[in-house]
Amino acid sequence: MEKTTTHKLLSFAYFLESSKRYNKIKTFVYNLLENDEYLYKKYFDMFMIFVILSSVTLLVMDVKQHIPAWLDDFDLYFVTTIFIAEYLLRMWVFSDIHKIIIDAYEESSYFDKKMNLFSLLWMIIKDKWAYVSSISAIIDIIAILPSYRSLRVLRVFVLFRAFKMLRYTKSLTGFLYVLKNKKFELMTLLTLSTFFIFIAGIMLYVFEGDNENPNIHNLFDAFYWALITISTVGYGDISPVTPEGRVVTMLIIITGIGLISFVTSIIVSSFNERLGVLREDRVVQAVGKKKKLTVVCGYGLLGRLVVRGLQKEGVEFVIVDKSEEMAEMAYNDGHHAICADASRGEIFKKLDIDKRISHVLCLTSDDIQNAFIAVNVKSLNENVDVSARCSDNEIAKKMEFAHVDHIIMPEEIAGMMGAVYAGEPVAFEVLLSIIEEKEKTQINEVTITEESFLDNVPLGEVDFEKLRLILLGVFKQSENSKLEEFIFNPSSDFILNAGDKLVCIGYSTAIANLKRKM
Amino acid sequence: MKILQDIVLFGYGTFGRQLYKNLTAIGYKVRIITGLEDYVELESDSDVDITRINIKRNDDIFSLNLNAEETIFYCAMNQTATNLFLVLTLKSLYPNADVVAISNSNETTRKLKYAGASSVIDLYEATSRRIVNVLTKPAVSKALDEIVYNQNDLQMLEIEIPQNTFLEGKYVNEINFRQMGLILIAIIDKELGYELIFTDHRINHKLDSGDILVIVAKKGDIESFKERLVE
Repeated sequence: MEKTTTHKLLSFAYFLESSKRYNKIKTFVYNLLENDEYLYKKYFDMFMIFVILSSVTLLVMDVKQHIPAWLDDFDLYFVTTIFIAEYLLRMWVFSDIHKIIIDAYEESSYFDKKMNLFSLLWMIIKDKWAYVSSISAIIDIIAILPSYRSLRVLRVFVLFRAFKMLRYTKSLTGFLYVLKNKKFELMTLLTLSTFFIFIAGIMLYVFEGDNENPNIHNLFDAFYWALITISTVGYGDISPVTPEGRVVTMLIIITGIGLISFVTSIIVSSFNERLGVLREDRVVQAVGKKKKLTVVCGYGLLGRLVVRGLQKEGVEFVIVDKSEEMAEMAYNDGHHAICADASRGEIFKKLDIDKRISHVLCLTSDDIQNAFIAVNVKSLNENVDVSARCSDNEIAKKMEFAHVDHIIMPEEIAGMMGAVYAGEPVAFEVLLSIIEEKEKTQINEVTITEESFLDNVPLGEVDFEKLRLILLGVFKQSENSKLEEFIFNPSSDFILNAGDKLVCIGYSTAIANLKRKM
Repeated sequence: MKILQDIVLFGYGTFGRQLYKNLTAIGYKVRIITGLEDYVELESDSDVDITRINIKRNDDIFSLNLNAEETIFYCAMNQTATNLFLVLTLKSLYPNADVVAISNSNETTRKLKYAGASSVIDLYEATSRRIVNVLTKPAVSKALDEIVYNQNDLQMLEIEIPQNTFLEGKYVNEINFRQMGLILIAIIDKELGYELIFTDHRINHKLDSGDILVIVAKKGDIESFKERLVE
């Protein structure tokens, strides 16, 4: 009997594991509920906020006037059903039961043991308990309770539904993080103030409790007074009447001012620390939708120039700099910038290196740092195209060894240009204006598209003079879409094909004109 | 063959070394001058001749016995401020000197130009273009690699038209440069002043001796073109 149950359980678990549809549905539900980067989660969140707000509105309306029965039903059935469904779905996507079963089976068959159904059940319960006992799940379950109408007190728990809203708004969760981060400091202060309230309350009770003060009937009144005074709220419904009582008041008011400013400063500083992370999250989210992302590491002199160029070309990029000052500067220049250490994996994983990042540029002024970043990126994903700046030949060799795709040496490039100047100042001017794109005349490339007027045409028939372009040469497209050898000055019987790239010199408008014709 | 000018290179840092390498490869004789305390990293196999002077003192510079009219000065000191000061000094001592300075930003370029540098090489401008090209225009970047950065067969160079050649008096489009394996990119037409004109404009120029052609071509084709010019 037990054997067949185990067998059925196992085959069901394997069925779930292999079912594409099941996994697809589960991933969808997971994305909708938990994945902040999922496009449609936003709409789900908005819907939930609407449901919660309507439920809270009904609670408030119910205080003074009786609400119609259908609205009450709406609250009782519709809202509750949604909450319960949400709760169960969250529990469902929290972990995979079938995986636990499969793991347990594989482990037991490995050791040739019999699978124990009870320990398996215990494992599953333990697993799901981790969800049930989490704070957000507890809030969720309390928010469902008010649906039980016979207990009036439970209605107040509707407010827990408002707590639930925290889950759907990201900025509010940031605040909870702050409190969590400063838990130790805040707890210390709380203990300290409890201590003061305790002492002051007892002192006032001792001095004025025995009928001296008509407002203090018991110890609770004294504690209430102490809290109102120490928090500098001071309602004045209870005030000391004896000189001793007033001395106590003076003392705890001074303490209270100190405590309050202390709490404020802790929270403010914690928010400041948190600000960077919040901004980082926002940047990650903002660039999260881009498919081809370029990461620029280092926002120094070179980084800034490169960023300007990328912006002109319409490339999507994000800047990562270790120094807070530089990241701040990039941010103030209006770019997506993150202050993080690019030689560590975290930031690249956050930016989803497997799917989104196409290029990484290592442009810090330190060669070793660049090599470090390049190796870091390549070890995470070999297919990312990495360019690294380097000023030392020996380090360049090591970068080559690490398969850095493009090693760029500013001094070498400038040195080469400097040498052109000697003896050939005119060629130097030409080079400078072409390379630096300061003038209108630029060098650019145009890809021949299929069935355009250049597809399958001998070069001799193309009037480049009329197009106002100088053709330098052509790159033939090979099968794996990599660039073949550069064919300089092709002869007039050279046949152009779709996919070929023409490298031309000319006015930017002339090049745009040719591109438009494609 | 052109007479090679003297070259004086101030500063022997990373850039200076690269420049020295490239210049000596073409055949120039380069004199290196550094400040008294500048650190110079010498590669074991190089036998470079380095003079150390106090750059702040005019006497030290005069003592170098420079022929300013025939010399190109490269200013590649490590510090921007020193470099700027050096350009100022050279220009004030030799107003006609041909001074090329290295810069690291637009900011510095502006100051160096004001100080009188005849040309300024921005260390990062060309590099940044190259990085962007690798990303956005791979074909352009490969083509430029072939022409400029890799010292391969392809070259970009300028040729001054000598007197009494077959080019004289002809219009640009009367001559089929492409058939000779040459691509004419730009011209300086003496009659139109010393302005650089790219040949993508359809204005047809008459060639005269003294005009300068900027050409991209393979080495062999350049040699045969030069031979035809001399004939």
